[in-house]
Amino acid sequence: MSLLPVDPHVITVGADLLGEALDAQAVARTAVDWRPPLPGTASALAAVLADPRRTAANELAVGRLLSARPQLVDVRPAADALCLDRGTFLHAGPPITWERASGPMRGALIGAMLLEGLAATVEEAERALAAGEVSLDSCHHHRTVGPMAGVVSPSMWLFEVRDAEHGGTAYCSLNEGLGKVLRYGAYGPEVLDRLRWMGEVLGPALRDALRISGPIDLRALIAQALQMGDELHNRNRAATSLFLRELAPALVEAAPGRAAEVLRFAGGNDHFFLNPAMAAGKASTDAARGVPGSSLVVAMARNGTDFGVQVSGLGDRWFTGPAGVPDGLYLGAYGPGDANPDIGDSTITETSGLGGFAMAAAPAIVKFVGGEVGDAITATRSMYEITLAEHPAYQIPGLGFRGTPVGIDVALVARTGLLPVVNTGIAGRVPGTGQVGAGLVSPPAEAFIAALNALAFDK
Amino acid sequence: MNSLVKLVPGVYHDSVSLMRVSQALSAMPGVDVAVIAMATPLNLDLARELGFEPPAAAPAGAELLVAVRAQDVAAATGELDRLLGELSSRTSAEASDFPARTTRSAARAGEANLVLVSVPGEHAFAEALDAVEAGLPVMIFSDNVPVEQEVLLKRLAEERGGLVMGPDCGTAVIGGAGLGFANVLRPGPVGVVAASGTGAQHVTSLLDLAGVGVSHVLGVGSRDLSAQVGGLSAIRALRRLDDDPGTELIVLISKPPAPEVARAVQEVVDKLRTPVVSALLGTSGGDLTSAAESALGRLGLDPPEWPSWSRPIARGSVRGLYSGGTLCTEASLITPGGFVDYGDDVFTRGRAHPMIDPTLRLEALTKVEPGEVALMDVVLGHGADPDPALRLAPAIEAAVGRGVQVVIALVGTDGDPQGLRRQAAELYEAGAAVFTSNAQAARHAAGSAT
Amino acid sequence: MTLGTQRRVQPRIHLTGAASAAVRPVLESARVPARVLATVSVGVYLEVRTQLEPSVIAMITGEATRLPNSVLLAGELPRVNVGDEAAVGDGVIEIGRYRVKARRWWDPAPALPPVDLERLARAVPAMSPQTSRRPGLEGNGAISLLAAGCAEASLARAVTAAEQLVGLGPGLTPSGDDVLAGLLVALRHLGSAARVERAVWLADWLAAAVTFDAGTRTTPISATLLHCAARGEASPEVAGVLRGIVGAQAIEPALRRLLQLGHTSGADLAQGLRIGLDSVLALGAGS
Repeated sequence: MSLLPVDPHVITVGADLLGEALDAQAVARTAVDWRPPLPGTASALAAVLADPRRTAANELAVGRLLSARPQLVDVRPAADALCLDRGTFLHAGPPITWERASGPMRGALIGAMLLEGLAATVEEAERALAAGEVSLDSCHHHRTVGPMAGVVSPSMWLFEVRDAEHGGTAYCSLNEGLGKVLRYGAYGPEVLDRLRWMGEVLGPALRDALRISGPIDLRALIAQALQMGDELHNRNRAATSLFLRELAPALVEAAPGRAAEVLRFAGGNDHFFLNPAMAAGKASTDAARGVPGSSLVVAMARNGTDFGVQVSGLGDRWFTGPAGVPDGLYLGAYGPGDANPDIGDSTITETSGLGGFAMAAAPAIVKFVGGEVGDAITATRSMYEITLAEHPAYQIPGLGFRGTPVGIDVALVARTGLLPVVNTGIAGRVPGTGQVGAGLVSPPAEAFIAALNALAFDK
Repeated sequence: MNSLVKLVPGVYHDSVSLMRVSQALSAMPGVDVAVIAMATPLNLDLARELGFEPPAAAPAGAELLVAVRAQDVAAATGELDRLLGELSSRTSAEASDFPARTTRSAARAGEANLVLVSVPGEHAFAEALDAVEAGLPVMIFSDNVPVEQEVLLKRLAEERGGLVMGPDCGTAVIGGAGLGFANVLRPGPVGVVAASGTGAQHVTSLLDLAGVGVSHVLGVGSRDLSAQVGGLSAIRALRRLDDDPGTELIVLISKPPAPEVARAVQEVVDKLRTPVVSALLGTSGGDLTSAAESALGRLGLDPPEWPSWSRPIARGSVRGLYSGGTLCTEASLITPGGFVDYGDDVFTRGRAHPMIDPTLRLEALTKVEPGEVALMDVVLGHGADPDPALRLAPAIEAAVGRGVQVVIALVGTDGDPQGLRRQAAELYEAGAAVFTSNAQAARHAAGSAT
Repeated sequence: MTLGTQRRVQPRIHLTGAASAAVRPVLESARVPARVLATVSVGVYLEVRTQLEPSVIAMITGEATRLPNSVLLAGELPRVNVGDEAAVGDGVIEIGRYRVKARRWWDPAPALPPVDLERLARAVPAMSPQTSRRPGLEGNGAISLLAAGCAEASLARAVTAAEQLVGLGPGLTPSGDDVLAGLLVALRHLGSAARVERAVWLADWLAAAVTFDAGTRTTPISATLLHCAARGEASPEVAGVLRGIVGAQAIEPALRRLLQLGHTSGADLAQGLRIGLDSVLALGAGS
């Protein structure tokens, strides 16, 4: 049995008066900046915290998330990888219908109709989608994630990432670049031409290169990129460079005639690595799914209308709230009035301890979070308050190589009232506009409150 | 008089801080009444009783209720902003790093070896659980914690090697540091396990007056020795003190425990290497003073004459106006009379404890009839009213002027911030008979003092 | 307007803190004069005109070594100068506008659980760490004489060595005094915990010898600390190592903390503790 403290250092939580009495006694003290939990969570918190399974369940779940070793193993068409039927489209976020879909989501779905030859004109595509002739499903239900609208149709090519530790597999589409692109809801001819080229040239070239190079260790690559100033959501410049450095020789060997255009395309897009990073995040968080009693968040995703979360101990259920409009910097003459509510599966980066959670690693993009390097450090530091662990491989040089905060706990979110910090691109409200800005977004508290209540009271 | 009532969202301060703000504001000239509190249903009701009509509040009480009636409302709200600003600046001055929002996070830094929880009772479980999971001893000052949560915390502490003091634990002294309501005690050989806060304060203060100090005072919470909780913490605390090299004698203080718990505790006591003096009120006629005296006896010391500043007393019926529950019980067992414990939950809901705010007891004192004896306790130490005589002495003088006889049990030590002797002198000069032993005060009040 | 008829009254500044129980007798006696002996960034030393010990009281901040004669302040140090007049007594330390009162008392004498010699012997390797923090008098003949004298309970040799060591070395607390202080508390506390009465007896004699004329042989601060050590009072860093030696806490981190103190003070104290430990083992084995 440990002895009673001879020289007390006291954590005080609650009334200032009692803390001040300790100060007057020159007792070392750490004051907790306590505030009441999110409204409507007091009894759920008591029940969840008292659950005898919780501690071990969370240890197991977050342990799996931390130990995942995502590797890029293949690039394949969705029809093949996911057995995706003609007439089925996947999309970002929790499930949504055409009626409730926002502008960029509708635009991307229209683009997919045109790409797949399911409609000849925009009007025809809209009619077919409104009539429910195409079945829509959430990417997350198919081990897949997609940025922004995240629309995946059978002919699109996907990165295939395997978790070498636990054996899971996850997919993400190939990044189209910036400007007018399908994921932001654009569907003009240049968008479709680019997608066709990606299917005919980019995808096969990457696949052939990977067969020569062998699997690429994404965990190691992400760890290096963090130390080079990326946070892997809004900044992927270092990661993209590292990725191409790994792949370039094999690409030249595999597709000598196409290597230059492929490298020019990928190298001209600082976000090219976002998609492999997302697949890596998906593979890692999927490893943590399905642990009964665990309050660990295993997915956060937005469809442009709803923001949804999934929790390890609650199977595949979604808990949603309205997607907010990001607060950020706008391109050119665009302003908040042009912005669509938050959209995309890229919050899988935050769910796996990157993105906004690793903001302190990316001082180059602090403008998104308030302008000062201190704001970036605060953003990351605040996330340690709602996470269960620190990542053993993903480290932040500026914080003394402390691991990034990882493993969001819905109970800690409810207790602290701190919502996950999400870095994101901002899509234009009107379909076809493309990206209008980038910044921070706050998830709706009700999604976390609903998840906590389900964990507490649903049998 | 003008009224202002509004709800301010997004502001949170703890209830004790807000009570101090309310008090400061009410004391402003021209201010009739001020209620500054979190907008809980209880506080909203309180405002309604005072004639305010507060708007509908968010269900969780995450808004600040401001209700002021004053000649000059603008001046009052200006002062309010200044007072609230002071509270906030104190919080943000500490925020150079991102301040911990939970006990879990504060414990992760690894420096702390003790946790003090005083958040509202319905939220105390989470913080205390963090402490137990981190293997740290925790004192839960908060009351109104459900008993199932108490049992769960104490069972977990058993598994993890922690110690849960409370809930509803008013006092603890660990390694010399006074937590909650605690007196300034010298270091020494006596370890205390107490299910009664004021009981522990009284015994340790008497020991200090006799020149004997304490190793640790471990409160276990008012319910610990009930059948439901089964003395889980008392037993752990006894074992901890038994293992503590600085503890030569253990004093166990409680109101009468449930019989089966008493047996379980006794079995543990019998196996300890360290001698134990039990002070279980109401059993075998013992009182807190005699417990302190037998502790001194076990250490081979003769009890001193407990300091008192006595006055002759005429027989009269006794009105006990107490702030300490155990002191009240003890006195009522010694002398017949009408006793009220103003520290009881009934009186402390929505207002500060009588050890901090004497208002209710002062009102009660004005209602004691001439010829009757008002018997009151005054508890000094950390956390208590910084100068109880300031308001009490004039009230005593007025009561004595009306023919009321006042007897005070003054619980404290020479080291206490309020100064035992100065408080005693002021209360005595106001006309009260003052005793440092509650039992002696009660006997004196009964007109049978030695 | 009337000018200059009133003396400007400066408001008093009330400070509180945690005082070593060792200074309680001085603090609670009748008020006597004192003066500021020294000021450093983390402490103010007061010399009190009293026959009691400690006659030097250190007022310190949290960063300073918590000497057994110290009052740890809750806030900032008083801004005072060497030579300033002060007063101590009736429960208060007064310097200029500052009034300091104790709100907590801590015990500078560590309480150790009973221990057997086997357990004590296991602490020996940990007390000889590979470290660059070397004691100031390493290799000095008086140190060897002290160690040998104590181990064989030769009062003559031990006292001779101790007399040579009092005040030996530079600084506010000369190395010789620190070694003796470490030795005195180790003999007393380890001796009692292991029931080696010969060690406690030796501690009593050595204590009497070194405190007899410490006031004239070394600095006032160091003399006071020798008086404290003679009674078994030490800083928490020293107490931590003693608890480590008897197995009541981890010894390595405790020793690391002690070695960090001062220029050589920590290493000197550790050397004294080591000599004390060896002596208790030798005396215990012989009895």
